Amino acid sequence: MKTAVTVPKNRNRRSLSKTDRFTLSAFVGIPSLLQIILLWVPAVVTVILSFTYWNGINIKDIHWAGIQNYKNIFFNNPIFYQALKNNGIWLAFFLFIATPLGVLLAYQIDRGIKGHAFYESIYYLPVVLSLAVIGIIWNFMFQPGGFVQGIMGRDLAHALSIWGNPSINTWVILGVASWRHIGYIMLLYLSGLKSVDPALKEAAAIDGATEWQIFRKIILPTMQPVNIIILVITLIESLRAFDLVYIIYGSPTVFPLLNLLVFQNFAGQGISMKGAAYAVILLLLCIIPIITYLRVVFKEDLK
Amino acid sequence: MSEEKNVVSRRTVLKGAAIGGAGLAAGGVLSAGTASSARAAGADIHWTTRGGGASGDAIAKSVNDAFTAKTGTKVIAQQVNSDDFQNNFVQIMQGSPDDAFGWMAGWRTNARADAGLLADVSAQIKALGSSLPASAVQAATNPKDKKQYIIPTTYYPWGLHYRKSMVKKIGMNPEKIQHWDDLIKMMTLTKKNGLVAYAMGDKQGWEAMGTFDILNARVNGYQYHIDLLNGRAKWTDAKTKETFKYFAQLIPFMNPNFMDIDWDGCRDLLLQKMCGAMMMGSWFANDFKAKSQADYNDLWVVPFPEINKKFGIDTIDAPLDGVSVAKNGKNVEGGKALAQFWGSKEGINAAIAGGDTSIYVSKDFDTSGYDAFGKQKLAVLGSAKNIMFFADRDSRGDFAGPILGPALQNFMKNPKNVNKILENTQAQWDALPKQ
Repeated sequence: MKTAVTVPKNRNRRSLSKTDRFTLSAFVGIPSLLQIILLWVPAVVTVILSFTYWNGINIKDIHWAGIQNYKNIFFNNPIFYQALKNNGIWLAFFLFIATPLGVLLAYQIDRGIKGHAFYESIYYLPVVLSLAVIGIIWNFMFQPGGFVQGIMGRDLAHALSIWGNPSINTWVILGVASWRHIGYIMLLYLSGLKSVDPALKEAAAIDGATEWQIFRKIILPTMQPVNIIILVITLIESLRAFDLVYIIYGSPTVFPLLNLLVFQNFAGQGISMKGAAYAVILLLLCIIPIITYLRVVFKEDLK
Repeated sequence: MSEEKNVVSRRTVLKGAAIGGAGLAAGGVLSAGTASSARAAGADIHWTTRGGGASGDAIAKSVNDAFTAKTGTKVIAQQVNSDDFQNNFVQIMQGSPDDAFGWMAGWRTNARADAGLLADVSAQIKALGSSLPASAVQAATNPKDKKQYIIPTTYYPWGLHYRKSMVKKIGMNPEKIQHWDDLIKMMTLTKKNGLVAYAMGDKQGWEAMGTFDILNARVNGYQYHIDLLNGRAKWTDAKTKETFKYFAQLIPFMNPNFMDIDWDGCRDLLLQKMCGAMMMGSWFANDFKAKSQADYNDLWVVPFPEINKKFGIDTIDAPLDGVSVAKNGKNVEGGKALAQFWGSKEGINAAIAGGDTSIYVSKDFDTSGYDAFGKQKLAVLGSAKNIMFFADRDSRGDFAGPILGPALQNFMKNPKNVNKILENTQAQWDALPKQ
């Protein structure tokens, strides 16, 4: 705006003062440079390394592997498909159950139902905890010798198998993860709802619309930008899931997730470039929602 | 808890590398979490204690102080979480590592020595001379260049642990669990009494390797086992399948929640008199002592029983620990001198004075003051002529953890799928890059 004031007749945006130009290039240039050095260079290196054999120690030991790492992952590693399945279930659960629940809660609280302040705070509480802390808390609850087992009167030898039981552990883990995710979505949505003009709702109510109609026809369309952000967050949270499961199991073998496989094969004693290949696969899966997210943000800026 | 895990700190340390592809470049970040910050120049020697809590620090202080008293060189020590150190070892060694540190013989030493991260201590081993038994020196020798990169100090046996009183109660002689049939009989009787017959905890994926190692060595012998772990024998071989037939027989005797508990869960089962037999390394005996002397006196260990007459009980898992010297340390010569001191008679005596209850390989190690359980541990070690180091030290790192661990877990969950699991394990071995 400053340029418009100082040079009112000149519509050319490029005619900035020297100081402005310097400030702008510093503000844009330094973060971009950092971004490139810290993020894009390692990412490109990772992509290249995923086509090699290497144990991560001496540069001279790197050997070209072609697509062997990928072939190995796709054809020899049943754990990859288990991980893909677990990430898929995680995504579907968040998308169709946890996130809609968060939206519903936000809507109810915004309507000002009885005791809404109380609900708001108890649902928000888990959001202040990191997933690692949540993992520690619920591990103490469910592990053999833990609190829940104690309440059920089960000692170590007769403790119910929860984390290690493949028929229920997925749902327990998703329940615990949702405990936090629902509150997070609720909070995001709530802040969006506060900015919806109440006159719109009143007008619809006067016209005889039902609650459901108001929500579907008025609230949802008005909230479009927030909806997309929430959708993208849900996608990314589901694909990058790591810390909760890592804290509970300490290893990726019982409940594999893509990120756990990246970690197991890319760090520590078992380092091989299979880990890089896992990372590339994960990157490709994540990049679509990220691009969508960026496009929405930029579109808004242009408006 | 000798290997107590600090989950929070581990998470913090690993956070840098955990998410996505930035991990590789963040190598420096990894080591920053564990390496010490203050570093004085000069002739001081830096030492890393690998886990062990307060007692680990006390032992290290006792030995290092004795070294300082003898040579006048100051030793600056720090303790690191054992798992973190192990997982970030390569990064730490490439950064600015401490000069000498407690470490593990086997693949973890040899592979890192081949990569040029560890200093050659052959001269120090020579200087220790005949105090080190030839078998220990042999075990510490890198097969590639026939040099040593670790000074062997302590080891512990993996054996079948149980409580004498409980075995007596079911009408068996606790001193005589010698054959597979004895074990099956003991497990059947324990199970009848409503107890867990064979304690198993494999949540982390490495614990069951102990059972697999010993079964394979008993069924097919030491050489076959080592060949298998190094790709010279096949996982799909009928011999390997035979081992898994015995493994499958054990599964009905295990606690059904074996995927939910760690090794310390197994220990607690035995401590609380809920299980009969437990296959584990003897490192946890101090926890029994901490509970009560009576519990400790009740604890017993025997070699895993004989299965194949041809091999008897000639093999044991007895991971060998020792002291290594970093090649990139600031004071490599000082590190070597300190490492040698840890393996010498004076060093061992200082460690014992500091509260160490480990078994030292050195012939200078005085065992006359040992209690019954300690003597039994020595007897168990002495019964074997071949020493295995445990699967994750006998095999390469990108196989043991990421491939063998999950394979054993899958097998225990679905023993009927054994053929498919073994085929897949072999396929994954074949896909590993050549070393």
